[in-house]
Amino acid sequence: MAQYSAQLDGVFTALSDPTRRAVIGRLGRGPATVGELARDVPMTLPSFMKHLRVLEQHGLIRTRKSGRVRSCELARERLALVDGWLAEQRAVWEGRTDRLERLVSGLEPPKEPR
Amino acid sequence: MNPDLDLSLQRVIRAPRATVWRAWTDPELLAQWWLPTPMSARVDRLEPRPGGAFVTRMSEDGLEFLPHVDGCFLAADELERIVFTNALDSSWRPAAPEPVAMTAEITLLEHPDGTDYRVVVRHGDPAARALHEELGFHDGWGAVTEQLAALAESR
Repeated sequence: MAQYSAQLDGVFTALSDPTRRAVIGRLGRGPATVGELARDVPMTLPSFMKHLRVLEQHGLIRTRKSGRVRSCELARERLALVDGWLAEQRAVWEGRTDRLERLVSGLEPPKEPR
Repeated sequence: MNPDLDLSLQRVIRAPRATVWRAWTDPELLAQWWLPTPMSARVDRLEPRPGGAFVTRMSEDGLEFLPHVDGCFLAADELERIVFTNALDSSWRPAAPEPVAMTAEITLLEHPDGTDYRVVVRHGDPAARALHEELGFHDGWGAVTEQLAALAESR
C-alpha cells in the first residue's frame, strides 16, 4: 500500500510538468530516440535530459542505449495507475452515497418547514 | 468537467432533500455514513458555509483516530448544494493533499421520488493533458466503471 502510494505520487509528480507531459504524449504514438524528442523542445539538451530522468525515475518511460543512440518508450502500465486510482475514488464516492441513502431512508423528515 | 480525471455520479435517493441535507450537515449523522465499516469516522469540524472548516478523522479500531479530511467549504446553499475542497485546509492554508487535490460538489435537486443526488469531484489535473493524448486507456476505464456500478447496485 505504501509502495503503491509512493508510485502514485511519483506518477503525479512526473506528470506535473508540461515538457514531461509532451514527452508522454509523443511516446504514446510510439518509441522515439532522445534526439527526436529533444528536437521538438525549445530548451537545452541537458535541461531536457533532466526531464527524461524524472520520467524514468518514476517509471513512466524506459530508455535503452544502443550504440550512440538512446531510445525511449512509454511504460503504459505505470501510467495506468492513474486510472486505477480514479476507479478507487469512484468506489469511495459510490460507497458513501450507498451509506447516505441507507441512513436517510431510515430517518424521519425534519420537522421545520421546507 | 474533465472526463479523464474528474468523476461524477448521480442517484435518486428516496428521502426528502431536507433529510439528505441534514445527513450532510449534522456531525452525528455525517459520522454514521462518511466512512465504510469497519472504519469509523469522527467529525471534528463541520461548518457548512463558504470558508467554513471541514475536518474529519478516521479510525480502524475506534480508539486511535487518524487525519482524514482537512479542508474547507467553498459553498453551502441550504438544501441545494455543498462544495468543499482539500486544496485549502481548514485554516485556508494552501495544502498539498496526496496524491492530488480535489473539489467535490454535491447537488441536491427535487425529484418525484425524493432527492436527485449528484456528485462531481474535480481532481487537480497534472495528468489530464497527458491522458488526453492518444493513449488508448478509455476502453479499460469504461469497463472498470461498469463493474463498479454492477457491484454498487448488487449491495
